[in-house]
Amino acid sequence: MLQCIFLLSDSGEVMLEKQLSGHRVDRSICAWFWEQVIAQGDSFKLQPVIASPTHYLFQVVREGITFLACTQVDMPPLMGIEFLCRVADVLSDYLGGLNEDVIKDNFVIVYELLDEMIDNGFPLTTEPNILREMIARPNIVSKMLSVVTGNSSNVTETLPGATASCVPWRTTDPKYANNEVYVDLVEEMDATINRDGVLVKCEIYGEVQVNSHLSGLPDLTLSFANPSIFDDVRFHPCVRFRPWESHQILSFVPPDGQFKLMSYRVKKLKSTPIYVKPQLTSGAGTCNVSVLVGIRNDPGKIIDSITVQFQLPACILSADLTSNHGTVNILANKTCSWSIGRIPRDKAPSMTGTLVLETGIERLHVFPTFQVSFRIMGVALSGLQIDKLDLKNLPNRPYKGFRALTQAGEFEVRS
Amino acid sequence: MAPPVQSQRSPSPSQPSGKGEVSDLKLQLRQLAGSRAPGVDDSKRDLFKKVISYMTIGIDVSSVFGEMVMCSAASDIVLKKMCYLYVGNYAKVNPDLALLTINFLQRDCKDEDPMIRGLALRSLCSLRVANLVEYLVGPLGSGLKDRSSYVRTVAVMGVLKLYHISASTCIDADFPAILKNMMFNDSETQVVANCLSALQEIWSSEASTSEEASREREGLLSKTNVYYLLNRIKEFSEWAQCLVLELVAKYVPSEGSEIFDIMNLLEDRLQHANGAVVLATIKVFLQLTLSMTDVHQQVYERIKAPLLTLVSSGSPEQSYAVLSHLHLLVMRAPFIFSSDYKHFYCQYNEPSYVKKLKLEMLTAVANESNTYEIVTELCEYAANVDIPIARESIRAVGKIALQQYDVNAIVDRLLQFLEMEKDYVTAEALVLVKDLLRKYPQWSQDCIAVVGNISSKNVQEPKAKAALIWMLGEYSKDMHDAPYILESLIENWEEEHSAEVRLHLLTAVMKCFFKRPPETQKALGAALAAGLADFHQDVHDRALFYYRLLQYNVSVAEHVVDPPKQAVSVFADTQSSEIKDRIFDEFNSLSVVYQKPSYMFTDKEHRGPLEFSDEVGNISIGIESAGTVVPVQRVEANDKDLLLSTSEKEESRGPSNNGSVYSAPSYDASAVSAAASQTLLELAISNPTVSGHAPQPSLEIDDLLGLGLPVEPAPAPSPPPLKLNSKAALDPSTFQQKWRQLPISLSQEHSISPEGVAGLTAPQALLRHMQGHSIHCIASGGQSPNFKFFFFAQKAEESSTFLVECIINTSSAKAQMKIKADDQSLSEAFSALFQSALSKFGLL
Repeated sequence: MLQCIFLLSDSGEVMLEKQLSGHRVDRSICAWFWEQVIAQGDSFKLQPVIASPTHYLFQVVREGITFLACTQVDMPPLMGIEFLCRVADVLSDYLGGLNEDVIKDNFVIVYELLDEMIDNGFPLTTEPNILREMIARPNIVSKMLSVVTGNSSNVTETLPGATASCVPWRTTDPKYANNEVYVDLVEEMDATINRDGVLVKCEIYGEVQVNSHLSGLPDLTLSFANPSIFDDVRFHPCVRFRPWESHQILSFVPPDGQFKLMSYRVKKLKSTPIYVKPQLTSGAGTCNVSVLVGIRNDPGKIIDSITVQFQLPACILSADLTSNHGTVNILANKTCSWSIGRIPRDKAPSMTGTLVLETGIERLHVFPTFQVSFRIMGVALSGLQIDKLDLKNLPNRPYKGFRALTQAGEFEVRS
Repeated sequence: MAPPVQSQRSPSPSQPSGKGEVSDLKLQLRQLAGSRAPGVDDSKRDLFKKVISYMTIGIDVSSVFGEMVMCSAASDIVLKKMCYLYVGNYAKVNPDLALLTINFLQRDCKDEDPMIRGLALRSLCSLRVANLVEYLVGPLGSGLKDRSSYVRTVAVMGVLKLYHISASTCIDADFPAILKNMMFNDSETQVVANCLSALQEIWSSEASTSEEASREREGLLSKTNVYYLLNRIKEFSEWAQCLVLELVAKYVPSEGSEIFDIMNLLEDRLQHANGAVVLATIKVFLQLTLSMTDVHQQVYERIKAPLLTLVSSGSPEQSYAVLSHLHLLVMRAPFIFSSDYKHFYCQYNEPSYVKKLKLEMLTAVANESNTYEIVTELCEYAANVDIPIARESIRAVGKIALQQYDVNAIVDRLLQFLEMEKDYVTAEALVLVKDLLRKYPQWSQDCIAVVGNISSKNVQEPKAKAALIWMLGEYSKDMHDAPYILESLIENWEEEHSAEVRLHLLTAVMKCFFKRPPETQKALGAALAAGLADFHQDVHDRALFYYRLLQYNVSVAEHVVDPPKQAVSVFADTQSSEIKDRIFDEFNSLSVVYQKPSYMFTDKEHRGPLEFSDEVGNISIGIESAGTVVPVQRVEANDKDLLLSTSEKEESRGPSNNGSVYSAPSYDASAVSAAASQTLLELAISNPTVSGHAPQPSLEIDDLLGLGLPVEPAPAPSPPPLKLNSKAALDPSTFQQKWRQLPISLSQEHSISPEGVAGLTAPQALLRHMQGHSIHCIASGGQSPNFKFFFFAQKAEESSTFLVECIINTSSAKAQMKIKADDQSLSEAFSALFQSALSKFGLL
């Protein structure tokens, strides 16, 4: 299985090295790896699974940090990648974000975490709830305490009770004065609109996120009004499969705190809430741009934080773009960003202007792709509706909260 | 997304300038070691942190080993952890000092806190110093019996670590048996999972020497064991589930109902949030149902949605791993994703490695119903900002065109690319149009009209230029300007740096000459002169060859250089199906990502400990493990090396024909230098493997030209009696290459007589007998009751070859034959000959 894990900074420096098996992996592998990264120009472009002369490498890049794992035996590639992704998630959860400094400042915690997550190259547990019980999070308060009193260990006193319980994701017996549970539907709309303005692909990726603060060992059932719309679903390990299979009911004992109960996909949606119509006409060394944005299919709630972004092609010398609503910014990396916010009632927002091409180029041959983002609070665009949430095994009546949110995922309009 | 831009980072203040700092640390640690002052733990912690941070950035701090150990007799768990980390890192290089740590680690192993016990035990086993193993056995023994499951989990892994340090100590202490017992009885599933992984590793490596271990290893795959694990699978952590599923994938159920039981039990694993679990489950499903065609198809339907979710919901890295698997699946069952092609549309933000795989998927799923949409989508990528992807997508359009029957719309699109006035688009499109014309000559009129408008000055890339020149030569009759364009290209001979282009130029001008002699004569002369003076060996040789050919006889030269051509039906560079099958057997492993079976990229020593089925899945042509190969003729290497060498050959050949597809008929690989199919024919004349018998040269040429071309007398109605060349020769690598390229033309099964079975006790006799009938054996192997033979034969007076794979099972008295032939029409006749030869031996 995995023999070694390295954490590299965005300049290729080894920040952390964790040997996992008797076959020591020499650091020089990182130098080899970084040469490949430089040859590709960017670690984001390098394939996640590569063969070096001595090892097979898995790499995952998060926030500029490269998580690199080495092995010499054949193993399921997704297992290596999935594990590294979890490591990245757990670290970012623990350290409140990922960057070079935060890892260097907390390397002891990183070592401790890795120690519990993987032994002898085989992943043990990556469940954040359990790890949190074994190794306390470094937070401002405990940092302050340790400075003041000089006596605080970031290791919790006891071993997690859950390791012995039959619901491994839940601590035994948390106690709350106020029992609360919140269920959020968070959806992302992925859509592609092609050059002719045709919606070629539109689907929703959604998650049911639950934040539970419930005492004891509660048993929850959640049902939907229209479960038939799902194309595919994936569950947190706590969800019992049989009730879902027979009645499309989610029956589960929740982990404590925030977790992702299920994720789902709904495909073949017919329309998008807003339209974006770019028009580029070029000739004689310049290109006229006009982009129109408006509401196509009113979701009944306010569409907020609308922005339209696109990358100016490399052959453009200068750009002069103005809008009748919102602000247009052209960033140093030639990204043009038009933030609209809400669509006003009285007019349709539009952005117009001209791009000047490099001398010698008559017409534009590379057409930019416009990436659109927006947020709609209070509605799940897939049409998914929660029917009811029942709670059993609870001493007193808990508070139940529901919310929905849709935002743009990969929403792109080609010109 | 982008990391915060950090300009020149100032060196961190803790960066030590040299040795001074380390010795300073040493001094401070020594002072603290004996102190009992309040707050001493805290200053120790700071110092430890410093030491570890030096260690992390790669500074050697092993000199403070003694002081670290002295300081670590503290109760603070963070201090302990840091110390364990330090000790684990340096013990191996300081075995003497490591002895110092044993004492306090052993004491910690008896601590009240289970966490400390576990951590200490883990560090103790991670010291990996061979002469300290005696101190391990005791703590491990009690660790395995600890009441805390955390300690037991650690202890089980410790046993495995001990095994790797000293196998004999581990076996002598009888740990494997204890683990086996724990595997069935422990209440904590993580302990069970660790037992399983430890036992798999221990017994697999013991199996080669110990009969008992190999039996135990088989025992892991027994029904009781597999069912025991399956029944508890939901209690396991997600990673342990992967381990169990991997084991189950190797289990062979004894009856059909078991298959359904297992699939029912595991169905909900397909809904798991962890992609690794989903993929491992899919592997189980696919492996279980391999023999049940109907169910296998249903499995494809069932796994479709989870796989697509994995592709679209995960991070790009996860998508990449999943897409590689999808590609494998779609190769085997193209229909499964044909209605979900939109999932493989590329998104702007995706990294190019994902886009590339998606393009491959789009090519693979294209069929009559969705081609139009897919090609429309691909055409949009051609204007992509990402130039490599733009190129790939044009190539994808071309590939789709080559695999479709209805290419009308696609040809129009390709021709539009040519008019896009972007050099790389034009270049890619030219190469594609060339391949397209070789497969669909009927499109030549439309294409040539557009190609004729392209100025050769705008085409710079060698590949594209070669394609353009090829078309100029091939269609010089219909392209008005062809001779003059060629002439101007020849005038610039000196500036042409690519040998490939120069070679093509020679051939094209020859072809043009045969069609329009008066206009081309001058250019031909200039080309031959320039070619003869060329410093490049191939170019020079080809020019000389053409020159002599023309001198000998112009009409023969035309026959050789520009014979009437048949449209190419299948391009040869598609991956062989046997390799794909092999990769499929290794579903959910690195093989899939590399698109190579694992034996092609892993050394034997590095192969996973879980590689149970090494002998079972061996499908490729050499078969049988090294020991049982009977050396016949020139086969001295074992099969794996053989395969490896041919695959390497292919790889080294890869770059030269990368991107464009050549139809290499089944000649020796050396013939595929950098030439298109018809030039192969010319080169075949000098091909040594063909000239087994050498009559007059002129006849030889005619003979060769007859090969595979319609000139050959049609044998179909009444085939002339087939005669075989008794001195036929074929080297193993050519055999392998042919075996992979040719389709099976005949597949038969016969029962064999008992006398024949008896005769097989000495396979050599059979081989000699067959040789008497001009059928030669190139490789054979196997042990009773299964024997496998590879034969070949060549037609007398001609180089048409027959290849036979013959599998004989003596216990069921059956013989299976697969015949492949250069000339399919002769395979019936050959089969009759082969059978009569076998029956004369008494086999049939």
